[in-house]
Amino acid sequence: MLEIKDLHVTVGGNEILKGLSLSVNAGEVHAIMGPNGSGKSTLSYVLAGRAGYDITSGTITYMGEDLGALAPEERAAKGVYLAMQYPVEIPGVTTLSFLKAALNAQRRARGDKEVDAITVLRQVREKAKTLNVPEEMLKRALNVGFSGGEKKRLEILQMALFEPALAILDETDSGLDIDALQLVAEGVNALRKPDRAMLVITHYQRLLNYIVPDRVHVLANGKIIAEGGKELAHELEAKGYADIIKDAA
Amino acid sequence: MAAISETKKQVAALGEKYKYGFVTDIEMERAPRGLTEDTVAFISAKKGEPEWMLAWRLEAYKRWREMKEPNWARVHYPKIDYENAYYYAAPKSSSDKPQSLDEIDPKILETYKKLGIPLHEQMALAGVAVDAVFDSVSVATTFKETLNKAGVIFCPISEAIREHPDLVKKYLGTVVPQSDNFFATLNSAVFSDGTFVYVPKGVRCPMELSTYFRINAQDTGQFERTLIIADENSYVSYLEGCTAPMRDENQLHAAVVELVALDGAEIKYSTVQNWYPGDEDGKGGIYNFVTKRGDCRGKGSKISWTQVETGSAITWKYPSCILRGDDSVGEFYSIAIANNYQQADTGTKMIHLGKNTRSRIISKGISAGKAQATYRGLVSVHSKAENARNFTQCDSLLIGGECGAHTVPYIEARNSSAKIEHEATTSKIADDQLFYCVSRGIDPEEAVALIVNGFCKEVLQQLPMEFAVEAQKLVGISLEGSVG
Amino acid sequence: MNIAVPTLETRRSEALDRFRSIGVPHRRIEEWKYTDLKAALSAEDVAHAGALPWSISALPDGVQMVDLASGKKRAEWVEKNLGMIGGEGVMNAAAFAFAQAGVALRVARNTIVGTPLNLRFTSAGHARVLIILEEGAELTLVEHHEAGEAFRNIGMEVSIGPNAQFTHVRVAEAAHNQIQIETISATLSRDARYCGHYTDLGAKISRVEANLTLAGAGADVQISGVSVLSGDTHADVTTNVDHAVGNTTSTQLFKKLIGGHARGVYQGKVSVRQHADKSNSSQTAKAILLSNRAEADLKPELEIFADDVKCDHGAAVGDLDLESLFYLRSRGLPEDEARALLMRAFVEDAVAQITDEVIRADVWKIVENALASVSEGK
Repeated sequence: MLEIKDLHVTVGGNEILKGLSLSVNAGEVHAIMGPNGSGKSTLSYVLAGRAGYDITSGTITYMGEDLGALAPEERAAKGVYLAMQYPVEIPGVTTLSFLKAALNAQRRARGDKEVDAITVLRQVREKAKTLNVPEEMLKRALNVGFSGGEKKRLEILQMALFEPALAILDETDSGLDIDALQLVAEGVNALRKPDRAMLVITHYQRLLNYIVPDRVHVLANGKIIAEGGKELAHELEAKGYADIIKDAA
Repeated sequence: MAAISETKKQVAALGEKYKYGFVTDIEMERAPRGLTEDTVAFISAKKGEPEWMLAWRLEAYKRWREMKEPNWARVHYPKIDYENAYYYAAPKSSSDKPQSLDEIDPKILETYKKLGIPLHEQMALAGVAVDAVFDSVSVATTFKETLNKAGVIFCPISEAIREHPDLVKKYLGTVVPQSDNFFATLNSAVFSDGTFVYVPKGVRCPMELSTYFRINAQDTGQFERTLIIADENSYVSYLEGCTAPMRDENQLHAAVVELVALDGAEIKYSTVQNWYPGDEDGKGGIYNFVTKRGDCRGKGSKISWTQVETGSAITWKYPSCILRGDDSVGEFYSIAIANNYQQADTGTKMIHLGKNTRSRIISKGISAGKAQATYRGLVSVHSKAENARNFTQCDSLLIGGECGAHTVPYIEARNSSAKIEHEATTSKIADDQLFYCVSRGIDPEEAVALIVNGFCKEVLQQLPMEFAVEAQKLVGISLEGSVG
Repeated sequence: MNIAVPTLETRRSEALDRFRSIGVPHRRIEEWKYTDLKAALSAEDVAHAGALPWSISALPDGVQMVDLASGKKRAEWVEKNLGMIGGEGVMNAAAFAFAQAGVALRVARNTIVGTPLNLRFTSAGHARVLIILEEGAELTLVEHHEAGEAFRNIGMEVSIGPNAQFTHVRVAEAAHNQIQIETISATLSRDARYCGHYTDLGAKISRVEANLTLAGAGADVQISGVSVLSGDTHADVTTNVDHAVGNTTSTQLFKKLIGGHARGVYQGKVSVRQHADKSNSSQTAKAILLSNRAEADLKPELEIFADDVKCDHGAAVGDLDLESLFYLRSRGLPEDEARALLMRAFVEDAVAQITDEVIRADVWKIVENALASVSEGK
């Protein structure tokens, strides 16, 4: 589904990703682990198409298509979803009206019929219930005044609503206590499907106790330096990043 | 829009029986070029005015001759040649009007479509000379009957001058004096027509005076004059203008609006102004120099201004409240969007004279393209205004690096019990907000509209329901092309 | 490019022309809306005000000084720089055109002047002050105004070099019989800092106008001030902060306590020029009226021509919080003391902007004396 080859990315003139390669198949959950500054967030932004993250060489192929050539909203319509580390606050725009705008924009781009407010509300309510998102939250302005846990739950709710083929979860665990983390992880696990791939980006192994990955990649200094099954995460936990990086060098 | 289907029903029910329209049938006629006492007398005669009205106009004309055009606002425009302009043109006859929508600029039609305006209203708005216009006239007649029953006087000001001279004499020029400022004085001399509303004591006006106006406020001319009087304990909500761009051939507009609220009365005045702003290169467009002022004359009275200003090349406009009555309340809610080469200098004055008077100002300015938007406001608390309160929130949003947003508040306090708070921010649409939206599939232009509508929400909420929805769409349309 | 800089004499005569053509400013000039100088002063009064006496504390190492009294031979750096900064304001032009007195100071590159320099003005007349801080230099100047009679007008111009810092504490005693005008004009180079604090007890007419141009990236302006006004005094603080380039910051915090028949004015304009992206600016002005004959006029203004900015301002007028007053009195404080305490609390954050402890303590002494007299209702 996703094939990244020798990817080099610069941000503000500085090279952050320095030849990253990665391959993810449908139905798989891959974890990307790495210390701060290793390029984790850059990877998530470049996959979602944020301006200022320039691909200088290498390729990102998604479902056979050059992802780098698409605008962010086109990627979304084609099923790429990024759950952000810091979901953005938009004052004055209610959460529900935002969800409707986004859902219909994606449907429009795919040539599907738009859905009316009531249908959106019904769908959102259903997902909200399983994620323990109170109805009242949907009426508040998008992410404004939400707690960290509420923001992350809303990101997962959107994932459930948009039903992406490729979901990238950028540090979804950051800032969450264990209860909130479990709730989010359950939400994510419920969305694992044979035709859906997930890329779980995290600093901590803890999340991977709850979202068990098929493959683990260690990102350091802009490159994947180690790969393995879920046991690699435990090894990392025990030894720390410094040792793994030393071993790889 | 419930009002629209309502309109359609009433039109169907009325059939052919409309004939008693409110739009006076005047033949096409123009006053000669230039402004002299003769021009003033011509307009007055044309309107069949009594002598006192002519005298009033001539007095204004004399004063205007001695005045200078103000230059303190942050707007720049070529010098207006007042000596070479037309000051009166009767409404066009049907034969001069476009005969079908095919003759209308396709860009305007596209906007109508985006706003979701029904076909017959599109024709009315575009000034097409077909039966569709008559439909609206007939609807107007039924509205008028309902108002008559309630005792509300609602008619062209020219009619009020003839039919209700005592009311007009008592109130005209008492809020905006004849020679208040250059443009108001000009208006006093040459006003073409406008609206007169009188709501009697204790009457709650049975309908929003808006649906009516939406389809019938054409051809009031470039010097509109409005006078609204809410007698004791009455209430009226009035909406002028239209979300749809109106066809208008006059470049200079100088309207005067006077509101009087007596004891316990409330007036809610909403404006959606979307006159032609000029093209992408700043050519053409309406100059809009308006004087709007409300006088909370009575104890416990309230005047609330809401405006959505998206049109005109130049907007010079400060709807104000004189809080004269004790316990009176003034409000100003404003959205001003300037795109391309538009210049908007707008704001309000809240003059606290009475005890326990309160005012609230919420202003949202949006600049894009090469436009300049200025908020200019005065909050003044006089020495006898015990316990006056004001809150002002004034936010500006910038889209693109070539526009400007300016905030010029004046706060003058002369009473130690006054509490005035003013907050202002200026910022751009954050990159991360835009990216968040587009990464969820929303295209950049729609994302901007979404974010800006959120930014304006507090003001949009103040609009009558049916217009709030259209105004939201208008916000998006006004900013089209502002993101690259 | 070789642009000929006009000579000092030419510059001076241009300033004179400027004053002659505009005349004494009055309330119909927007910038002087709340300070009608013309009503109190004629152009003749301005022209014949004479030389303003001044004195200065001992010069630390690394600081050069030149007396600007007329007739004296001037150093080349003075000839070159005098009258080059801040040409716009008409009273600044007058201070340049008519000044027969004044002082020029230069702090050499990378010289950190540890002890504050005290500059004192007495009596009446015009003076010019030129201060040049070379790259990396640091200077703290305490400018003290004693009360006088008639009319005092100062034009201060400051050039702050790259990474240099000028801390300027201005203190003006109450001067019921004097008109006091000062125009401070400063240009900040890259990474330069101007920290200004203006404490003011009012005069017959008083106006401090600060025109600060952030001309280099990283430049930072922090200005604060306190006005405590009683009797029939007037105090106008007008600031123009110009973000000429991007990545510059400015903050302003002004507090005014106005009693008696006094009038306190704050006009603060922050401009961000086109392309001056990443400019951040914040501006706060608050006034408390202690009498129904007192007046506060606040005009915080934003003029923004760039989009990637964060600018805000807040302004407020109110009175002492009655609930707090009651709370304090219920705990046994007499009303006067309670009021004084609340007034002190109101100005506290503005005075706290003065980082030097000794200077801050001196300013507090002056402010507290003024608070005592303002709370007695004088």
